[in-house]
Amino acid sequence: MGPGFRRDDDLGSNLIITCPHCGARPVEEFTFLGDAKPQRPTSNDPSSMEQWFDYVYLRDNPKGRIDEFAHHSGGCRAWLVVTRNTETHEVHGTVTAKDYAVRAKKSGR
Amino acid sequence: MLRESPLKDVVRAGRYGADKGAPGVTLSVVHPLSLVMVIARKGKAKAAKESLTAMRGATVMWAGPDQYYVKGAEAAALKKKLGDAASIIDQSHGRVMFRISGPKSRALLAKGTPVDLHADEFPIGKSAVTQMAHVGAHLTCTGKDDFELSVFRGFSESFWEWLTEQALEFGYQVN
Amino acid sequence: MGSFRLSSGGLIDRCKRLNFTFDGESFQGFAGDSLASALMANGRMLMGRSFKYHRPRGPITAGAAEPNALVELRSGGRKEANTRATMVELHEGLEAKSQNRWPSLGFDVGAINSLASSIFVAGFYYKTFMWPKSFWEKIYEPLIRKAAGLGAASREADPDRYEKSYAHCDLLVIGSGPAGLMAALAAARSGGRVILADEGSELGGSLLFEREEIGGKTGLEWARGVIAELASMTNITLMPRTTIFGWFDGNIFGAVERVADHVAAPTHNEPRQRYWRIIAKKAVLAAGAEERPIVFGGNDVPGVMTASAMRHYANRYGVAAGHNIAVFANNPSGARSLRDLRAHGLNATAVDHPIINVKGGKGVKAAVLAGGHDIPCDAIAVSGGWSPIVNLMCHRGTRPVWNEKLAAFLPPDVGAEFVAAGSANGKMLLSECLTDGAAKGTLKGKPPAVPKCKDEAYAISPLWWVKESKGKAFVDYQNDVTVKDLPLAAREGYNHIELAKRYTTAGMATDQGKLGNINAIAILAEATGKTIPEIGTTTFRPFYTPVSFGAFAGPFTGKHFQPVRKSPLHQWGEEQGAVFVETGLWMRSSWFPRKGEDWLAAATREVKATRNGVGLCDVSTLGKIDVHGKDAGRFLDILYCNTFSTLAVGKARYGLMLREDGIVMDDGTTSRFAEDHFVMTTTTANAAKVMSHMEFVHQALFPELDVTYTSVTEQWAQMAMAGPSARATLNKIVDGAKLDDTNTPYMAAREISILKGLPARLFRISFSGEHAYELAVPADFGNGVARALMQAGKEFGIMPYGIEALSIMRIEKGHVAGGELNGTTTAGDLGLGKMMSTKKDYIGRVMAGREGLVDPKRQVVVGIRPVDKRDRLRAGSHLLTRGQSPSLANDQGYITSVAWSPMLNMWIGLALLSDGRNRKGEVVQVFDGLRNHHMLAEICEPMQFDPENRRLHA
Ligand SMILES: [Zn+2]
Repeated sequence: MGPGFRRDDDLGSNLIITCPHCGARPVEEFTFLGDAKPQRPTSNDPSSMEQWFDYVYLRDNPKGRIDEFAHHSGGCRAWLVVTRNTETHEVHGTVTAKDYAVRAKKSGR
Repeated sequence: MLRESPLKDVVRAGRYGADKGAPGVTLSVVHPLSLVMVIARKGKAKAAKESLTAMRGATVMWAGPDQYYVKGAEAAALKKKLGDAASIIDQSHGRVMFRISGPKSRALLAKGTPVDLHADEFPIGKSAVTQMAHVGAHLTCTGKDDFELSVFRGFSESFWEWLTEQALEFGYQVN
Repeated sequence: MGSFRLSSGGLIDRCKRLNFTFDGESFQGFAGDSLASALMANGRMLMGRSFKYHRPRGPITAGAAEPNALVELRSGGRKEANTRATMVELHEGLEAKSQNRWPSLGFDVGAINSLASSIFVAGFYYKTFMWPKSFWEKIYEPLIRKAAGLGAASREADPDRYEKSYAHCDLLVIGSGPAGLMAALAAARSGGRVILADEGSELGGSLLFEREEIGGKTGLEWARGVIAELASMTNITLMPRTTIFGWFDGNIFGAVERVADHVAAPTHNEPRQRYWRIIAKKAVLAAGAEERPIVFGGNDVPGVMTASAMRHYANRYGVAAGHNIAVFANNPSGARSLRDLRAHGLNATAVDHPIINVKGGKGVKAAVLAGGHDIPCDAIAVSGGWSPIVNLMCHRGTRPVWNEKLAAFLPPDVGAEFVAAGSANGKMLLSECLTDGAAKGTLKGKPPAVPKCKDEAYAISPLWWVKESKGKAFVDYQNDVTVKDLPLAAREGYNHIELAKRYTTAGMATDQGKLGNINAIAILAEATGKTIPEIGTTTFRPFYTPVSFGAFAGPFTGKHFQPVRKSPLHQWGEEQGAVFVETGLWMRSSWFPRKGEDWLAAATREVKATRNGVGLCDVSTLGKIDVHGKDAGRFLDILYCNTFSTLAVGKARYGLMLREDGIVMDDGTTSRFAEDHFVMTTTTANAAKVMSHMEFVHQALFPELDVTYTSVTEQWAQMAMAGPSARATLNKIVDGAKLDDTNTPYMAAREISILKGLPARLFRISFSGEHAYELAVPADFGNGVARALMQAGKEFGIMPYGIEALSIMRIEKGHVAGGELNGTTTAGDLGLGKMMSTKKDYIGRVMAGREGLVDPKRQVVVGIRPVDKRDRLRAGSHLLTRGQSPSLANDQGYITSVAWSPMLNMWIGLALLSDGRNRKGEVVQVFDGLRNHHMLAEICEPMQFDPENRRLHA
């Protein structure tokens, strides 16, 4: 817990994210972790190393829509997945990482 | 052994800041505090909420998804009541609670939190978890112009210094 | 010279005289004056020197766009450079200085640059100061900075306070002229939450100086009526002296409120400025339009100003810019100024030919017209048309749209969240402004009725620059860019507007080209044979006008730069004379010096006392997390590389946590208090990171687990009790059965009661290698329990010990900490490879098996000690095979932690050494590059003191 990291909360970085639990909050209450699409491999076998490498290191960097992990570290502390447009900064929607994970596991992605 | 507030040498009753007219805000520290975190276990959110709603003599405040702060009830009593429907974690010593009231309470809090505190948006009984002055804060509207706010104990002195400095322009009373 | 203060008129209070100084000279003005108007009233049109040529300059506007009249205010820590005299409210005791001149404003040596101006063309600095390279830092740059700088910042700390605040509204109205007032009125009447912000000291915008009629009253009377109505409503906040400086994602607006800039110093209770973040559902830009000058020779001579500025000074401040005024305009603003100036009894004449030059140096003497004749005059009013103030609407990347008929860029369509109204929206008639404002401000229902008013027709015939001009004709006043510089930039290949801007510097610095940009674009268009829309504008970015660093920092400076976090045992530490050191945000008691002791002497004494008797250390800052739930054990199995689900209730176990990439993240002990209840500890430094990690692992990766986890770091005050007498000391405060090896063996974790009924958690764990315990009590009892323990331990010589002593003891015992858990080491590197389970999934399992992470040549943790016991090891020193010279290729590792060991009487350390486990006994070369020091050291086991761990169980 604690205050988390100090973010650049004063210059230009303004964005409103609607936390499903807390409502609309500005970006400085959140911490980001990048692309949410990669799924953690289920195999522990060393032969799955390539999958693991992809999961741990490789991220798409699209111009346009992206699903991104955001942690409401300055609020309810839920991990969220924010869908936003990297080009226009438009936020299309936010779901909890829990729901996102359950959905991904169901769809077998 | 008596409980010792971390602010016992810091918070002093009196009138401070702008001294014309009635104070804009009144501040006080709630000590000794009884505050217990209740987190519903998996699949028990509804049961936990119902048991809490049925409780008498304690205040239940939303504190996150399926999480609540209960003020004024013993952890042991809550454990008995909720059984395995929830985890019960005593934070009575871990957090320091401030009471903030008066006509300028919203203007004061707006210096810290991006949460919209207008009475239509943040009515009596509503809580928010937010950050104020780089410190995590739990905020509840308890009356027309009244709020309760708690922060981690270790930050309480630093937070109090910030809070009182921000209240200077309104004039404030410490009780 | 007649008086420049008109005998009547203006919104100034002629009964209230204010004293102020400019360049040390005393002057008087009236309440309601700006610094610029007060100086002009005193006949001081010369207010500054230009940036490059050091030409004499006076104000050319009466407002925010002012490029010339930049002054330095106040002195000492309150000194503020580059403020616009046109926006500074006069107050008693105001202290102002001109800048960019030496030795004085009247006689400036730098003005010689003007004579050599043929070499000071665009790109001059780039072309001239290129060679030799070594000259740049030492000679060219300091020289240029001295000669060409704007104002200088104070080196003293600012004594004033700055604040920050958030605001929320349904509608934010920016600007309080006719359109802004109408928009605010419409919104407020429809019941919405409204904020009306205006950068001026008084609301009213252009109505403060334009002679107009609205609803049968003067424009000003109408405005004051509306403002009074708004002020009586509870759903609107009026914010004068507030500049909206930027528009950001989420319809968030940045603003600065100048709370106390209009007085000499703020009172103790108020800040100088307040930085606002306004979260608006909708916003209306009613910022008006900026009048732009025409480019002609000598258009920068003090006394040349925009036509609207000249009537602004006359109508609002009762100040004449001159007594014989030539008016040069391509639109009806000229006629307006003629009418208003003549109404004040001034002699004003419209020129019948374009002005090609201005006679006079520090003041206008005559205007030279095309065709050759002069008009004697002492001021020139000029208008080249109006540019809607579109800046804010372009802050998110959209560009403004050219309108041929108005010869102006209009705001782009950026959606319903932010719209423009009035002259900011290209409405040039007063009635249009009122109607537009009413329509844009209406949140629901019909717009309110708009009062009747008299319109003055508007038309413009574009005229950007007078081609027959003689002498220097300025496009950008602040950067001294002349009409010749832009075609030059185009010829040299910098024909894109963004390139031309950087090459010529047109549009840079504090005014960001508010006056000059459109003229620059038009001139560049002509030079490149393109149209104005083809050239387009440069990018508009925040900030609309400069914002002070103080406002950005807000209250978070000095002591409050970041919050201070104090342990529940802080007071006990103070009582014991602790020296506190910041670790992250925490203040930790690091050593407890006695008279004459330095940190090393104190820590040495603390270690000896602990190892010989008993010591008490505050370990409250370690992260403590209560983990509950049916799947708590499984969750810990996923988090840690070793297993916790098998841990017996009442026991503690050391755990090692990896990152998903296989590198060690954190360590700590975890204890089990019930089937579904564990208490985890983390290092102080990683507590927040570990909590976020747990939340991620549960919520994003394993949401099916029935587990909860809560930080209880602050709930418990935790004390380490270490040393042979630790148990005897504790037994004096424990309720009921005394502690022994049966009820409390090594690695036991119990809930006990102490001091007649206080609940406590007791862990028999040791970081020091001693027979030791950690005792946790609810935080409010922390200081009291610590005092009781000090009392109980008196007979055993109890000693408080700090983080330094703790660190010495863990290095003696070879326990890894921050220096080794440094984000590059694996479990194997730390000698903890055996902890990695092969029977379960956990974070980091597969990646930890990567070839590079199991390479036998990896650097692993070893102990190190000097060959010559008098030598001092230094952390960070590199290790080399004996006899090899220091180089990257020869590098074998480095020392991660060192300590003076009071038990071994020498400096010892831990190091990361390639293939270190097979090198015990080897003598290596230690190279301290910082001190250029070489020594020899022997590689040994990490645990250098009590290697059989006898003391742990003693
Ligand atoms: Zn949230």
